[in-house]
Amino acid sequence: MAASLMAEKTDDRKPEAAPAAAGNVYECDAVSLELFPHGEPRLIIDRLSLNVRAGEFLTVVGSSGTGKSTLLRLLGGLVPASSGTIRFRGSIVSGAPSDVVVVFQDYSNALLQWRSVARNVALGIEGKLDRTEIEARVRQALQMVGLEKNASDHPWQLSGGMQQRVQIARALALKPQVMLMDEPFGALDAMTKATLQDEVLKVHGQTGTSFVFITHDIEEAVYLGDRAVVLAGPPGRVYKTVEIALPRPRDQIRTRQSPEFLHYRAEIHAAVLSAGGH
Amino acid sequence: MSKGAPWIAALRVGVPPLRGLLPLFGLLALWQIINPHGSPYFPPPSAWWVGLAGLAKNGRLLTALSATLTTFILAIVFACLIGGLLGLLIGRSRAARRALGPLLEFCRGLPPPVIVPVGVLLLGYVQSLKLVIVVLVAVWPILLNTASSTAGLSDLLVEVSHTMRLGRFATLAKIVVPSAVPAFLVGVRGAIPLAIIITLLVEMLTSLPGIGSLIVISQRQFHSAEVYGLLVVVGLIGFAINGLFVAIEGVLLSRFPPRASYMQGN
Amino acid sequence: MRRESFNLPGAVTFIAAIAIWELAVRSGAVSFDYLPAPSAIALAFVGIVRSGELFTATLHTLRSILIGWVLACLIGGVLGVVFGLSGFARRWFLASLEVLRPLPAIAFLPVALLLFNFSLTTELVVMVYASIWPMFINTMGGIANVASRLHDVSLTLKLTPLQSLAKVLLPAAGPAILVGARLCLGTTLVLAIIAEMIGNPHGLGYAVVSALLAIQPEQMFAYVLFIGVLAIALNACLLLVARRLLPVYGREAMSDV
Repeated sequence: MAASLMAEKTDDRKPEAAPAAAGNVYECDAVSLELFPHGEPRLIIDRLSLNVRAGEFLTVVGSSGTGKSTLLRLLGGLVPASSGTIRFRGSIVSGAPSDVVVVFQDYSNALLQWRSVARNVALGIEGKLDRTEIEARVRQALQMVGLEKNASDHPWQLSGGMQQRVQIARALALKPQVMLMDEPFGALDAMTKATLQDEVLKVHGQTGTSFVFITHDIEEAVYLGDRAVVLAGPPGRVYKTVEIALPRPRDQIRTRQSPEFLHYRAEIHAAVLSAGGH
Repeated sequence: MSKGAPWIAALRVGVPPLRGLLPLFGLLALWQIINPHGSPYFPPPSAWWVGLAGLAKNGRLLTALSATLTTFILAIVFACLIGGLLGLLIGRSRAARRALGPLLEFCRGLPPPVIVPVGVLLLGYVQSLKLVIVVLVAVWPILLNTASSTAGLSDLLVEVSHTMRLGRFATLAKIVVPSAVPAFLVGVRGAIPLAIIITLLVEMLTSLPGIGSLIVISQRQFHSAEVYGLLVVVGLIGFAINGLFVAIEGVLLSRFPPRASYMQGN
Repeated sequence: MRRESFNLPGAVTFIAAIAIWELAVRSGAVSFDYLPAPSAIALAFVGIVRSGELFTATLHTLRSILIGWVLACLIGGVLGVVFGLSGFARRWFLASLEVLRPLPAIAFLPVALLLFNFSLTTELVVMVYASIWPMFINTMGGIANVASRLHDVSLTLKLTPLQSLAKVLLPAAGPAILVGARLCLGTTLVLAIIAEMIGNPHGLGYAVVSALLAIQPEQMFAYVLFIGVLAIALNACLLLVARRLLPVYGREAMSDV
């Protein structure tokens, strides 16, 4: 099923690529997760089925308790499912799949504060590639997020938005096929958030990487996504999927004011509300 | 954020205004003026100097000083190695932590001085006794701090190591060990005064060579000026060691986020 | 607040360690001349309890600790408040204190012996000198910390300096002061033992050393282990009292230092 669609990724500036044709990178089939905090069983995810199309930007929304973060960790291979199957490019996910990277919300603790920015970005590739290749990738990744000048700074010297960009660059250095992002901008102020949203869209457009983006911000979900999945719960399951046919490239002012945008926002908002009633 | 040489910054950090030394010097000057010839109980600072010079002349001061410092330095080195390594191992293994927990708690609560007579009893009055006892005492703060930090490694960093697909060794070397360094240094910071005190205590109790036994000898002979002089020597040693440690710590921690003001312990 | 299940592996290891010790000594596998078996230590312990020696020694040490600790807390606390509030004090006096601080208190013992001979005074002087520091440093740090933060609060509420101190600063610096008091207690205990080993022939420290000199290993170990238990008990007592009197401070100040 999964193909070598996006296997070749160049860093030349491509015109905005539309989500690629046929093929799912992820297929989740009746996935459940049961945990045992304090010895009592608790169902976190309940028979959730979901596909992620190659090259698409999928946003996931839902109120707290719907298992959004857990879903991401399942996709990222950080947590094993209790039942059901998760397939990445056709193979069952067991452990962190290569070509998939998770970007966490808590950037400060997800970065290695004692390493320079450049060495943080290199974390996933050092020892796996030769010197020149590593340096090239780090440079490219930093350029993509606009932090070339900060390569020798330490994360704790940078602002929150910049630290999150370092984390994104670290993920990009791996040239992943899928980026899983767990409410990455939740801790940032509105203006930084807007800047980073556009940066992520730029990366998506230039590299054709698939994105699964968790957020509780409905507007963000509409602004970024090709498709938005609304989760209900607990326990988490898919409540509704909304195709977002807004034109790309997107713009913070024009897109957000368009009637289509408002329509999608209302639709998803209503879905989230009624999902909460179940 | 200063980008200068980290060690320069480290030296500048945390030194209160030097004019604050005036009261101390003032007190010493006053003592000297009031008491030029001195009672046997409160000899003036000038007499201290004479007493020390006497000890230095026949080489006793230097011998004692080198004996004490050698023990101290070796003990700290061993304590760092053993404490750091064991701390890492224990911190990594939840099973070890549970099983060893009560034993470690008891050893932690045991006041260090009581280990000295135990050591003397078991090992006898041999030269290596000093080193063994001081290591035994100094290792605890280092071990416990390192273990606690390693055990408390944030789940998030573990997840990062998975999503970055770092192997076990890479995770250990790149994440676990560096993140334990600040706690390790806090442990060393606590171990240093402990090591000094216990070194001196062993020397005082057993009369093995060192500054401690020198002070006791002078005290028993009622050479009070020498006693005060040696007190100053000990003070200078403590001050110098402390300063050295702060500088080293500053360099090692220059890459880490600045710590909030120290509040615990020394 | 999950109740931790009883630490079975820990208890088992603890008991196993004692059992191995007993076996090792009895079978002669471990060949220290003077290492007694746990059973012998237990017997000796019963002996010193019966004879009242343990009680006398403990009473002396506890009394010293109490007096020393209270004095050190008072002096250290007052100094800490003064230096925490007064920039003037910090500018003109702190460096002198910082030079004195690394001086190991044990080095004062011979001086104290010269001045006061083998007596309780010697013990107390050295104890108090050493224990002032943790209380002083932590109180100063705590007060300085909150003073800058809560300065505006006090102004807004139009509190007099004394009211500000009593109602705002001291309570806010409470956790830090409590940590200082706990460290102070630990230091007091350690110095009491040291002083009794060298400077004042009474109390538990002296009991250990005299058992050493009389080559009575079982007694010595009994005292040593008792001191360990005492140290843990004292700390636990302090925590208990603090929890009762100052429940608002929560886990931060009570956690293990």
